[in-house]
Parts: sequence; C-alpha cells; structure tokens
Amino acid sequence: MLNRRELLRTGLLGAGALAAPGLLAACSNETTARMPALKAGEDPWRRFAGTTINFISENTAPTAAIAANLKPFTELTGINVRIVNLELSALVQRVALDMASGDSQYQVVYADPYQVLAPYSAGLADLREFIGAEDFPPLEGGLEDFIPTQMDAAGRFAEEGPVFALPYDCPTMIWQYRIDLFDKYGDAMADELGFDPTPGSDRTWDEYLQIARWFNDNADEVSYGTGHQAKQHDSLMCDFSNILWSYGGDYFAAGEQIGLLGLRDPGKCTLNSAEGVEAAEFYSSLMAAAHPASRTWDWDGVGAALRASEIAMCPNWHEFAASNEQALPGKVGYAPLPKGPARSAHMYGGTGIAISDNAQGAQRGAAWLFVNWATSPETQLSNLRSSAGGGTPTRTSVYELPQVRAAEQRPSDLPNMLTAEAVRTAWEPDNVGLRPKIPMWNACDTAIFTELSKMIAGQSPQETMDNATERFDQIVERGWVA
Amino acid sequence: MTTATNRRVTAPTQPPGPEKQKKKRLTFTGGLMAPGVAVLALLSILPFIALVVMSFSTVQLLGGVRLSWAGLDNWSRALADPDMWSSWLKTIIFLGATLGLEMVLGIGLALLLHRVTRGRGLLLSLILLPMFVAPVIVGLLGRYLTDSTFGLYAWLLNQMGWEGDILGGTTSAFVAVVLMDVWEWTPLVALITLAGLSSVNPSTMEAASLDGAGYWRSLQHIVFPSISGILLVALLIRAMDAVRYYDIIFVTTNGGPADATKIIPIRLFENAFRFFDLGYAATIGLMMLVLTILIAQGFVRVLARKD
Repeated sequence: MLNRRELLRTGLLGAGALAAPGLLAACSNETTARMPALKAGEDPWRRFAGTTINFISENTAPTAAIAANLKPFTELTGINVRIVNLELSALVQRVALDMASGDSQYQVVYADPYQVLAPYSAGLADLREFIGAEDFPPLEGGLEDFIPTQMDAAGRFAEEGPVFALPYDCPTMIWQYRIDLFDKYGDAMADELGFDPTPGSDRTWDEYLQIARWFNDNADEVSYGTGHQAKQHDSLMCDFSNILWSYGGDYFAAGEQIGLLGLRDPGKCTLNSAEGVEAAEFYSSLMAAAHPASRTWDWDGVGAALRASEIAMCPNWHEFAASNEQALPGKVGYAPLPKGPARSAHMYGGTGIAISDNAQGAQRGAAWLFVNWATSPETQLSNLRSSAGGGTPTRTSVYELPQVRAAEQRPSDLPNMLTAEAVRTAWEPDNVGLRPKIPMWNACDTAIFTELSKMIAGQSPQETMDNATERFDQIVERGWVA
Repeated sequence: MTTATNRRVTAPTQPPGPEKQKKKRLTFTGGLMAPGVAVLALLSILPFIALVVMSFSTVQLLGGVRLSWAGLDNWSRALADPDMWSSWLKTIIFLGATLGLEMVLGIGLALLLHRVTRGRGLLLSLILLPMFVAPVIVGLLGRYLTDSTFGLYAWLLNQMGWEGDILGGTTSAFVAVVLMDVWEWTPLVALITLAGLSSVNPSTMEAASLDGAGYWRSLQHIVFPSISGILLVALLIRAMDAVRYYDIIFVTTNGGPADATKIIPIRLFENAFRFFDLGYAATIGLMMLVLTILIAQGFVRVLARKD
C-alpha cells in the first residue's frame, strides 16, 4: 500500500518520465517541420499565407522604409512579418545567440558581411535552394541584376558557389562638402593653394588636407574645414581604410580576394608595410587639422556636424544625403573621395539579407519570399521614394529607370540619388574599398581602431601600425572557433 | 508531552542505523531552507560552475553550444596580456576616484542636510533625483552635455578658455565618466550617511557641546566614530557596484579614446559579445569575481574588527 508521500513521488516521477521525451523533442533540431508543397494551380506567392516570420535588422534606412510599408508584401503573400530593428552590435549578439540555440527565432537576418556573414556563414541557408526553384516565384532579373561587386561582397563567403545573402543596402563612403562655401571661396582658395579645389576624383588627399587647413584659417561660416568619424569605434577603421588603400597599403597580402569573397585564413597582416605607415602618417596629419570633436564622432556625429555647419566637408556614407538635403537643401555636394599615390578608395559598407539555416517548414519558405520581395526592383524603387528612410538600390536595373536617372539632378524627389554619380565611380572595381571578410574580423577591427585611436592621442604612426600588425597576427593565429 | 520528552531523551542512546542517519540529515529547518537553496543553486552555483568550466574551454556556438578543453590557455592569455593589466589599472584608479569623491561629497551633503531644519524633505528629494535615473540615460545625458557642437558643459569650458573636446581627450574623457558616476551615486552615499547621522545620540552631542567641543571636534570624536559602521556599508555597496561599472562608459566613450576608459567590464563585454570569445570572457569574469570577493571580505573584516 502506497502512502501519500510515496504516491506523490511516484506520480511526479512518472509525469517527468512521460514529459521528458516531449520536452527534449521540443528542444531538439530533429523535429524539423517540412515545407508545405505547392498545390496545383496555387499562386507561389500565396503558398505560405498565414505564416509569421521575424526579420532582425540593423536600424538602417531601407528597413525603416520597409517597416513603414509592409502592406504590399502582406497583401501579396498573406505572410506576417515582424521586424526587430537594432543597433548593429546588438543585432550581431542576438543573431549569434539565436544560432547557438539551434533554433531560429529570427528567420530573416540582416547579414553584415563582416560581423554576421563571415563568422556565421555555416548558420545561414544557401539561397540557391530557392533561386530558380520551380515551386517558388522567380528572382526578378536574376542574380545578375545585382551590382556584381556587391553581390560577391555582401552575398558570398570564401567560395564562388553558395549564395548566403542578397544585397540589401549599399552605403559607401564619398566626399560630402558644402557647395555654397566652395562656390564662395573657390577662387580665393585656388589663388592661394595653386590648384582647383573643386571636389572630384582628380583631387588628392594632400590637396584635401590643404583645403581643410584653408577653411580653418579663412572661413567664418564653419568652425573647421574637415571632420572625421574618428571615435574609438568601427567608424574610425572605415575612415582610415580609405586612406590606407589609396596609399597602396592593405590589411593582408591577398587584399582583393579577402575583400570580395573573403577567406577563412587570411595569412599574415601587412599593415606595417611602408605604404601602411605612410597612410598612418598622413591620417595623423589630417586629424591634426580636423575638428577636435572628430575623436568623439562616429558616422552619425560627423553627419550631424556637417549639417550643423561645424565643418565644410567630410568623408561619410552616401546614404546621409537625404538628411543633408533636409537640413541644408541644395547646399551639400557629393564627389568621389580624393586619390592617394596608389588609387582612390571608397569604403563599401553594404549588407545583404539572409535566411537562418535553422528556419524550417513554412517559415523557411516564407523567409525566402520576403528576401525575394525586399530586394526586388519594385521594392527598391518604392524604398527610394519612402519618406521614412529608403537607402539606395543594389540593383542595376533600378539605377537605369528614367525617373531614377532624373532624380540624380536637383531638384530631386529622391535625394539619396544625388550621390549616384559619385557612388557609381566609387563602386568601380578599381575604386571600391572592401575590408577583409574574415570570420575573426570583429577582433581585428577592434585592434585597428584602438591602435588608431592611440595614434590620434599621440602614439607614433610606425608604432601604431606595428602594434596593429602584431595584434592582427595573434588574432588570426588563434583562429575562429565559434 | 511526556512521551515526546522521553523519546527525545532516549533517542541518542540507541545506536544510529544507516537509515536513521540519512533521515537525520534533513532537519525541519533544513527542509524549510531546501527550496531556497535549490533556487540559489540554480541561479548562482550552476552558472558559476559553468563559468569555471568555460574558462578552461573553447566555446563553440554554431549548432548548439559546445565546449572543447583548452587547458590553461585562457588563463595564461589573460595573465600575459598587457592590455588586460592596463584595464585592471584603469579599473582600480576608477574605483578609487569614484569611491573617494562619492564618499567625500556624500558625507558633506549629508552633514549639510542634517543641519537643515526647514524643507529638508524637499531638498533630500531633489538631491536624490539622479539616483533614480537609469545609468544608460545618465550616459546619454553626459554625452549630450559634453558634445562640442551643442553641449552645455563643452560650451561653458570653452567660455573659460579650455580648448579641445571633453570626451576626445584621454584624461578629460576619464574624468568625465568618473564625474558622471559621481553625479549619479553621491546621493546614495548622502542618504545612507544621513540615516547614520540621525542615529547619533543628541545628548552625547549636547554634552560635548557643553564641554566646549567645537563642530569639527564633535565630528571627529563623536559623529564619525558613531557612523563609521554605516559608512563602511555605503563604501561596500558602492565599491561592489563600481567594479561592474559599464553602462555610462559604453554609451559615452565605448572604452576610448585610446583605451583611456576601457575598464575591465567593458573588456569583458567586448570579448563576450563582440568577439564571442566566451572562454576568455569567462576567465575575465572570474577575475572580476575574485576582486569583488576580496573587496567585500576586506570591508567585512574591518566591520568585524570594529564590532
């Protein structure tokens, strides 16, 4: 005869034994749901109607535009999309932890090529599973419609075959300057400096520095000639890299290959080459002439400073054009960055959107429909027109549309397109600047921007590049395990 | 009643069998404590054990968390890393600066408030306000106030002839983040001290005054000895908190410029959630835990000696 306590114990153990397999199964990846098949005559866009998916994104302009206008997608597919907008580092944490869980809380992922794609490509679906599949709607224009450099940089990792993401946004650093001030002082500057100061691809970084100093000494409208995103932050690496590449330096010997497709093992760092040190010396001089607050500015800070008339010019992401145009209508111009002894280089900061490989069943298919729709020419055009944000297209066909072409000149109803000529030059293979796409980039990035920050605070350029090289080599030697 | 007493008396004389020994282990009090201890184990001891294991491992995330044995790699790396030691030094300086300033200002404020007879409640409420602001908001406020384009403090310093950018200089950025913490937490020290001052026996103060002791002498010989225990508690609370200081630096300088404000919690976060080097981050976490325990034990010993 069981007493009350024994009965209770037995009952609990029994319940636990019955529940455990269920609980374990619920936590396991083995219970994968199958994707529902396309029924005969069914619209492939409506195949996953009623499904809800989550899209995790950096708080960028294209996502702001899409979030403000999701209705066309919901009407087309019957799929509900919940968008989680985060600052990039927070996004990377969430994505990494989501992948570690073996589950997919976020089916569609904003896959920054350097912080998500390279380290976690093994956790992303190969989109070739959907592209060209007969039971899915076709990818309009195919992969060929995406700007080729961006397709490789934002969509692939380490090898030509797999496609992990479709290019979604494409911020690129260009020269942003006050047209009104260059108009006012252009002649006086030309007389004193001995060259035409008009911003363009013919200018050199040395001339840029001279122009900045001239503004420091002669213009009352602004506090300083130039400003930079030189906070101890990713932005400092971006700002410096333009100069590093234009002086012929690079992070690793296989610079182009690492930038475009990426590598798992990049080899030895080359930052302390003669060209690298020369670039650091120039950057040091540039920072000495720049607005002192540059040390506290990231891209947002330097953008705000330009709009607040603190500075006359700066290198910054081209997607700031829309906010520049709001604050200083008609007064900000855009040009390719100056060239150095080797070339002109423009940091590309674009990103693709990907699908978590843990996504299963209807959610996996629905995620692809969203990726397809969000990167389609029609959506990119709609984003350009959005008052909520917008970014710029990643498809060549959109740039060729007559209304988009027309918007490249003022008055423009698509202000980001005012930068089109400059960014077209920036995206040419000889001019594009691609940072190393390696799994351990986050640590390398921190190493270079920390050393550069020390250089701005007084450390010598040679020591800076030597220290950075040593730290890069240590990081690469440890490898990437996650 | 008699039976129960007899049972209690006779029980020890019987040879304890193995079954009885087992039953004796969980007393009534133990039974009451068991759920609490179990929750504590779940919330602290298990993560602690996991942290120790992680510090000797390489942690892989993709496809589910997996640990592979790394021996003493993480520990030797942490102990040999000059940047890590530099961060420890900054942490100690930060700790000394914030605690020193908060204690001096907090005690000063409390002494002033203690002398106020009218409107003390209102004054106290105003003084306590910063304490109720989330640290991340304090950081954002600090960042805006020190911004060289539109910041009030930057403008004031500029008017006084100081050139440069507050968060852009290595020393000024460090001082700024120290002062932001001091602004937020001095009221807590003031509040605790004020509570201590209220407990000082007024008749002792009156007697000292009649004996001709001045204000400063009374403070030195009566007030401070009376409230030293409570001051140590305030110091302990703030010290434990300051070791984990993170939010304000993350929002304002993110450890820069030139690593000038990269104290240990920032380095820990960076390794854990930026590089996902979780084994190494666990090692840094354990080092922080050791420091916190040492600080706590130091204060507890001083308190025990006082008692």
